[in-house]
Amino acid sequence: MSTDTLAAPVAERLTPAVRRRRGDISWRRVAFGLLGLLITALVWELVAALKHDPVILPSVQSTASTFWDYLSQKYPAQGKTLGQHALVSAARILAGWGAGVVIGVALGGVMASVRIVRYLLDPLIEITRPLPPLAFIPLFIVWFGIGETPKFALILIGVVPVMIIATVAALDAVPTELVQASRSLGASAFWSLLTVRLRSALPSIITGMRLAMGGAWTSIVAVELIAATSGLGYVINNAGVNLQTPLVISGILAISVLGILFDGALRLLHRATDPTAR
Amino acid sequence: MTTMPQLDTRPAVEIVGVRKQFAGRSRRSPGRLALDGFDLTVKQGEFLCLLGPSGCGKSTLLNMLAGFTQPDGGQVLTDGTPVDGPGPDRGVLFQTPMLFPWLTTLGNVLYGPRARHELSADARRRALDLLETVGLSDARDAYPHELSGGMRHRAAFARVLVNKPRLLLMDEPFGALDAITRVAMQKFLLELWQRERITIVFVTHDVEEAALLGDRVCVMTGSPGRTQAVIDVDLPRPRSIETTETLEFVTLKRQIREALDNEH
Repeated sequence: MSTDTLAAPVAERLTPAVRRRRGDISWRRVAFGLLGLLITALVWELVAALKHDPVILPSVQSTASTFWDYLSQKYPAQGKTLGQHALVSAARILAGWGAGVVIGVALGGVMASVRIVRYLLDPLIEITRPLPPLAFIPLFIVWFGIGETPKFALILIGVVPVMIIATVAALDAVPTELVQASRSLGASAFWSLLTVRLRSALPSIITGMRLAMGGAWTSIVAVELIAATSGLGYVINNAGVNLQTPLVISGILAISVLGILFDGALRLLHRATDPTAR
Repeated sequence: MTTMPQLDTRPAVEIVGVRKQFAGRSRRSPGRLALDGFDLTVKQGEFLCLLGPSGCGKSTLLNMLAGFTQPDGGQVLTDGTPVDGPGPDRGVLFQTPMLFPWLTTLGNVLYGPRARHELSADARRRALDLLETVGLSDARDAYPHELSGGMRHRAAFARVLVNKPRLLLMDEPFGALDAITRVAMQKFLLELWQRERITIVFVTHDVEEAALLGDRVCVMTGSPGRTQAVIDVDLPRPRSIETTETLEFVTLKRQIREALDNEH
């Protein structure tokens, strides 16, 4: 031990060397996960073969080939490919969800800091929160027609309350002493708000963003089923009306892929902001 | 090596006739008087322990020194200047280390210089030196959750000391630690204070801790809190855990405990 170092028990100084690595991939887990998917596909294939009716349940291969075909083929004939429909839905999600996150975090931030605003908005949120956004579809069609506006509004009304609640809860959970510590280290009130209060709340806010994303998908598919000429919800509904079951399942799978991609991106963001989750 | 010698003649801390009241639950209930007409002076370089049961206002006192709360009456001065909000000249150590969990150990130590926009090569060198001093050189890139309880406390020390505070305010800093780590941290603090000679105001409810660390022990009781006794600790320095086994120490502990019990 160098003479410049104050005494510290030896056992304590060794701990960083045996850091746990939670981020390591468990191959066992991956293998069993794949096995579960494989079993599901086998059961599906078996039931499809027994039923022998592609309208009720197409085989795995015919669904897969339909999915592949419609990646280049337009649906309906004068419409868009599956990928383009997916892009339309994704763009609607990103616009509505993105705006909802910004509005929700801003309102939540003000509510957590100004008591009057909190008293003002709390009952409003409590009233709107238990409402399924889908209940607003007829109202929004009457108000905004069948263009992009009602879709945007529907996603917004689902995302904003979730984001407000997540933001307020996250900011409330920041320990007072953490902010006091930063102030007594010489941070100005504004710098402390930015680098401690908001920063400390960020991982929980990102979790709120993930929850809101799930709700946004429910809203967009529902509204596309009713009032749209493009998007995955439209594909699913239209193909269903025409008894094109493989295309219905392809549309559902496309939503699943997009959902996993978006959630995966948010999980990466969460990991990047929260060292304890790594 | 103070360049302004007149500073050292002033007390490090002067608390004069301080009153602090906390609001009651409802508008009609009178509210709780935490402190009323409280006086205390701490000399430069002194290690003062504030000892008392919970609710005697010792943490309130520390929060006012830190600038987190303002007194309702009276004056709180450090180095002859009234306290006006928190500042890096008064380092605060909380009951839990309150490190920023998203920053590495080095990032935590450099938070102060960065927040004040004084992040220079000199500050960085100082931070690395301090990590060496507190025995955390190997852990400078580790995150707080990867450190043990004692290491987190030492990181919090480095984070405060990098700002060259003139006063250290400690609010039961070792209260939440296990007995073995607490003894190690007390030893660490004694050695640190022996070298740096910073004025320390140390809040505790542990009689033995107060007697082992302090130059003086201010025993507080009651609500509103008042000084029951100020006891000089004449034990020789440097002290160590062996000090607690001497007869003088045991006598002193009894004296402090009697002052605590004398409330009624």
